[in-house]
Amino acid sequence: MRIFDPHIHMSSRTTDDYEAMYAAGVRALVEPAFWLGQPRTSVGSYTDYFDALIGWERFRAAQFGIRHHCTIALNPKEANDPRCREVLDVLPRYLAKDGVVAVGEVGYDSMTKEEDEVFARQLAMALEHDLPVMVHTPHRDKLEGTKRTLDVVREAGIAPERVIVDHLNEVTVKLVKDSGAWMGFSIYPDTKMDEHRMVEILRQYGLDNMIVNSAADWGRSDPLKTAKTGQAMLDGGFTEADVDKVLWQNPVDFYDQSGRLTLDPLPGFTGEAVTFEGNSVLRGARK
Amino acid sequence: MTVFSLGYGTNGFSNHRLDDALAVIADLGYTGVALTLDHDHLDPFADDLTRQVEHVSSRLSALGLNRVVIETGARYLLDPWRKHSPTLLSDDPALRIDFLARALRIAGDLGADCVSFWSGVSTVDNDVAWTRLRDGVAAVLEHATRLNVRLAMEPEPGHLVQHLSQVLDLREELGEPELFGVTLDVGHCVAVEPVDAAECVRLAGPLLWNVQLDDMVQGVHEHLEFGDGQLDLPATLTALAEIGYTGLAAVELPRHSHAAPDTARRAFTALTAAMPESWLDKAESRIREKPSVVGSLFPAVGREVGRAALRPATDPQGLVHGTVDDRARVRLVRVLADVLDSSALAAELRDLYRYGDDAERRGVLRGLNSLESPAAEVVGTGVQLVQDALRANDIRLVAAAMGAFARFLDDHAWRHGVLKCVFVGVPLAAVAELETRVDDELRRMLADFADERRAAGREVPADALSLLKEGH
Repeated sequence: MRIFDPHIHMSSRTTDDYEAMYAAGVRALVEPAFWLGQPRTSVGSYTDYFDALIGWERFRAAQFGIRHHCTIALNPKEANDPRCREVLDVLPRYLAKDGVVAVGEVGYDSMTKEEDEVFARQLAMALEHDLPVMVHTPHRDKLEGTKRTLDVVREAGIAPERVIVDHLNEVTVKLVKDSGAWMGFSIYPDTKMDEHRMVEILRQYGLDNMIVNSAADWGRSDPLKTAKTGQAMLDGGFTEADVDKVLWQNPVDFYDQSGRLTLDPLPGFTGEAVTFEGNSVLRGARK
Repeated sequence: MTVFSLGYGTNGFSNHRLDDALAVIADLGYTGVALTLDHDHLDPFADDLTRQVEHVSSRLSALGLNRVVIETGARYLLDPWRKHSPTLLSDDPALRIDFLARALRIAGDLGADCVSFWSGVSTVDNDVAWTRLRDGVAAVLEHATRLNVRLAMEPEPGHLVQHLSQVLDLREELGEPELFGVTLDVGHCVAVEPVDAAECVRLAGPLLWNVQLDDMVQGVHEHLEFGDGQLDLPATLTALAEIGYTGLAAVELPRHSHAAPDTARRAFTALTAAMPESWLDKAESRIREKPSVVGSLFPAVGREVGRAALRPATDPQGLVHGTVDDRARVRLVRVLADVLDSSALAAELRDLYRYGDDAERRGVLRGLNSLESPAAEVVGTGVQLVQDALRANDIRLVAAAMGAFARFLDDHAWRHGVLKCVFVGVPLAAVAELETRVDDELRRMLADFADERRAAGREVPADALSLLKEGH
């Protein structure tokens, strides 16, 4: 099973996670810029975070045989804090970087006027930098927030196939499918979505434009939920090819629209999904 | 914009007098020539050689053939019975060495880029053959050094040295002689190399001094016209441009002499259609026009030129020799150094580093390493950037920070940089001027480090140990 996790916050994860992910078949991932639990209070802490996403975290992932990409944006939650909004001025520098595969996570948290403005500005930047958009749907008032999200994206003039709308569930999936955007599902231990519900959704809505992620971060979450969803698909009668489509081909197709994916195997690692022990080259050198 | 020159090999005009061959080649639009010394083409054993060389020299400049290399693959020139005998691998290679010495002298007199040569086919035991080759090349290199003319070895299918990697390895074995480089026949790459011609070009990099152009199919050593084989000509020419190759790329069709003018005309048409203006060329021009655009070009380098290590076999992460994108960024930094005054250069490098990702920061550091005599302001900023990189734990940054520019670090910082390399697993080969700058204090630090490792039952890197041994 080869896996592309299109949404995981590795900055909050340990090297054990990287090892386990590689062993489970993860060869590439996207880390969307988001908030850190502790609110930021300045642009400086933001740029340090972005620098880590395009520098240190990329290097860290590479040591475990995993290609790291990221999305860059001011997230909707912090869009409400005037101390953070100035980060919009430095975003263009980061959107030009290698391995930055979308503008995101953008969208709504509490659906304020400030969030509206910041969302619109960042959609304009996506057009300007020819990048896809990765949209976060609100945890509260999700259906209404998703509708408004789709309206704003449409008004901005962004083609729906260049947008992924994430954190969907049974209630919001149809709306997004009808819009033509890609559908993202974050598989969590006990909240947003679980792997068995996910299999049901795949049965009902098909595999096209369906993307599954672990969205693992600093909260209770599981970086192997992608692999577990793959297993649940197989147990539920889907084929290996179906699993490959959902866990690899779909996210690759979506993010490849950026022209900035790098998927060739890292030095010292093969492209095959083999056991971690077979690929201990770097570990030996780094002891 | 300087790019490489297109030329034609005179071994594809063996039925022409040399004067006529040169005229046809020039008339077709080529600006260089790969001159194979042969019976009727500047015979190096001729009595009136000096006069002939003078004549050819004025002929070349009159025809505008400004790029010349000397090729030494003529048949039956040294032995009327055996085609390429003797070679450097023969029982008595003296005649071959003498011939190559003559070729070097002619190259020097004509202002040629280099003399191209090959190893020969081995008919003896492998160890014997390699010993003979090393000895032979060393002997020829003595002549090259005396005359200050470069030697470019060509991997030739079926010969002892038939792969690019073997030439590069031999060069390392010989102690990386300054005057020893690579001739690459791009058709041979198709026939026998594990990677394509473009990748071979990138692997040879700055050591590529002579290029032969022809088509071929995989596994078959037969020189074909472009389009008759499997060579990706545009990609190959693009790779030449991207590595900054400025030498001669000459068509090599030695079995087409019977129809030389038409063949050469078709080849020129195919070449001009496939010639790139590479992304890097354009980037360089744009920066010369408006230096501030480097801010948007620098991040795009990896996407445009690739990211592979330059010597993947021995240096898979590019810690010692860098990567393809490192080299391209070095070129852009050097353009900046060319067009900006020192305070503007210092400011631009600071910004490129500050807002750069891992690869861009590496590019800035390696760019600093390439500056021969940076002004005080650039040194001041550069040292800050190097110190920042040495605080990082990304080993590729640490390695790049210990290159030539680290000469501006004070002894304390430099020693700690070396120790950090050992500590995080950067090979000491990445440290510039290590042998000349190592001192007792660094040896003490390394000895303490080694003790600590041994106490923990862990290995001590071999390069650190050998540095310690040298101190005794």
